[in-house]
Amino acid sequence: MKPFLAALFALILSGAAGAADLRIGVLRLDVDPRYDADMAYARIELRPTGDVEAAVRMALSDMKIVTDARGLDVVLSSASVSRTELDGAAQAMVADGVTHLVLDLPAEDIDHLAAALADTPVTLLNTTAPDDWLRRKCHPNLLHTASSDRMSVDALIQHAVANNWKSFLVLRGKTERDALRADAFVEAVARFRLRVVDDRTFDLSTNPAMREQNNISLLTGGTRDYDAVFIADEVGEFARYVPYQTARSRPVVGATGLVPLEWHWAFERYGAPQVNSRFESQSEGGRRMGWQDWSAWIATRAVLTSHAKARGDTLEDVNAFLRSERLRLDGSKGAQMSFRPWNGQLRMPILLATHNAVIGVAPLDGFEHRVNSLDSLGYDEGEFACD
Amino acid sequence: MMRTLLASLALCLMPAIAPALETGRIFVSNEKSHDIHVFDSDFNLIKKIETSRRPRDMKLNAARTLLYVACGDDDIIDVIDVETLEVVDGIPTGPSPEVFDFSPDEKQIYVSNEEDSMLEVIDLDARITIHDVPTGAEPEGVIVVPDTNTLYVTSEVSDMVHVIDRVEGVVTNNIIVGTRPRRFVITPDTDELWVSAELSSEIYIIDRTSEEIKEVLEFLPPGFRPEDVTPVGMTLTRDGKIGLISLGRANHVAIIDAHSKELLEYVLVGRRAWSVALSRDEKIAVVANGLSDDITLIDMETYRPIRSIPVGRVPHTVVIDD
Repeated sequence: MKPFLAALFALILSGAAGAADLRIGVLRLDVDPRYDADMAYARIELRPTGDVEAAVRMALSDMKIVTDARGLDVVLSSASVSRTELDGAAQAMVADGVTHLVLDLPAEDIDHLAAALADTPVTLLNTTAPDDWLRRKCHPNLLHTASSDRMSVDALIQHAVANNWKSFLVLRGKTERDALRADAFVEAVARFRLRVVDDRTFDLSTNPAMREQNNISLLTGGTRDYDAVFIADEVGEFARYVPYQTARSRPVVGATGLVPLEWHWAFERYGAPQVNSRFESQSEGGRRMGWQDWSAWIATRAVLTSHAKARGDTLEDVNAFLRSERLRLDGSKGAQMSFRPWNGQLRMPILLATHNAVIGVAPLDGFEHRVNSLDSLGYDEGEFACD
Repeated sequence: MMRTLLASLALCLMPAIAPALETGRIFVSNEKSHDIHVFDSDFNLIKKIETSRRPRDMKLNAARTLLYVACGDDDIIDVIDVETLEVVDGIPTGPSPEVFDFSPDEKQIYVSNEEDSMLEVIDLDARITIHDVPTGAEPEGVIVVPDTNTLYVTSEVSDMVHVIDRVEGVVTNNIIVGTRPRRFVITPDTDELWVSAELSSEIYIIDRTSEEIKEVLEFLPPGFRPEDVTPVGMTLTRDGKIGLISLGRANHVAIIDAHSKELLEYVLVGRRAWSVALSRDEKIAVVANGLSDDITLIDMETYRPIRSIPVGRVPHTVVIDD
């Protein structure tokens, strides 16, 4: 048994071989329907607010000493545009020399952009769209640092299995996103042979004629017993009233209660407090780091790390390193991360958090995988197929 | 002074405790129980010293009379009298001190300050920060090379080793290493600097003269996945022949031939093996296990674990006074 004497990494700094430009872009919608706060007339922030550019900038400052050492002059191009202007804005950035573009956009827009930019050298990084169908499109120029729906619900299922929760009542909203999330959960339930006792749709109205859908007691009663309620509610307006009102006294998970997330401000391990406090000191108004911010931060760090460590200076070398297992990226979640070669998804630990505490970090102890335990979350290579 | 004398008198009256110097005592800092467990050379617990909050890295002064302890949540380095086992002093630092080292004349202390991304230089007499050297984000490991002006610091986020001229107070070179570089050792001939890269499961061997990476070591104890191997703590025997490397979540310590880098043995210890230290006679190695709240003793003749002993919550560093 000999330790592997790995071949020398060609990481030796070749002196600052003249300052080269590295252009990174960040692109989002000026009015993103996903961040519309109108539903929240109670002035409670239901959906995340804040600009991921703060997180991209934090990554640039975190890595400045590295990029300086490599003689790289990092330039950030930033645009916040309407849906109709997206194409033009992205094309302009690419024409300007942007090689890596961080996207805070809904899945449909990313799908469209990836196709439109297929003949350009740019690599797109999806930081906030969880849709599995976007992964199945297998755009060769697209990587994902947002967790997919399936990864997130698999994390919840691991928690359920570890706590001996065997049956669920599924509640879903009427939006397309809620349907995707709930469907992913039902699939994940089946993989572990757990049970869904009923799958119901809720309605936000107070219309008495729809009380079967809008009265929480009725919505959660009249079923066989269940161990927990899973709710898919992207907006969150309905979900926040469900705990403590269910017909049976059972925990609520999914969109409220225990929520699977890429990141949480209350995470205390693996250097997370330092990341959170750096973000709070750099963000607008000292806001806390949300999961979207973590995804944008890690996307930018992945690109900069690849520039620092790639064996060679060409864009091909950098992108080859970015997509290789050697990336071994640290996202302050205690695991070395890399992109899955079969769908460009960043494999990562998922936090299971309440509003103010991180209860668990999936993959939980005991959930193994034949290659990498992070791949116990989401579609594995064997069950994944491009459309 | 009087108190010190009385306390040492009291200690002398107790049986089984060796004379003040080279007590053979083992100190273990516990981050979450805010204390230091002190064992005698037979590994009997003789005292729990309450410290400031979150004690982590510890170092003895050259005379081995004082033990310095960086306490991350109170922004202070506590100073403990090794004879009386009392906290006798404190050196204020910037936010969240983690790892530190002394200048060879012990007039200055170099502290990595993970909140502010700085290496702080503190004058021990004046008790003031005389200089800050900006580093990459989350600096951690700090080591001063004896008889030189060179100092090394790791940055966990930028995956770098900073080479610092401690007299000029400037970074003279940056060496890019593996993911989340943590700690250092320097070989006794001072030719090699070893760096543990926790999240890429590697030990980087850097040639100190050329400041280039000579070799990258990887370890894989049987039954573990490469990603379980998260090396942090390292130590070398005084003759520079044997190296010990803690493998973190792989729950083993690798013992290697420090020259050929050949593996001699994987020793099973507790959960998340962290700091590792050798007794002066180098017959026993002590490993702090961060996730099982204990220390494991390794017999250095047979390379077998002898036993594990419970300590406080989240043991961080082991220092042996002998």
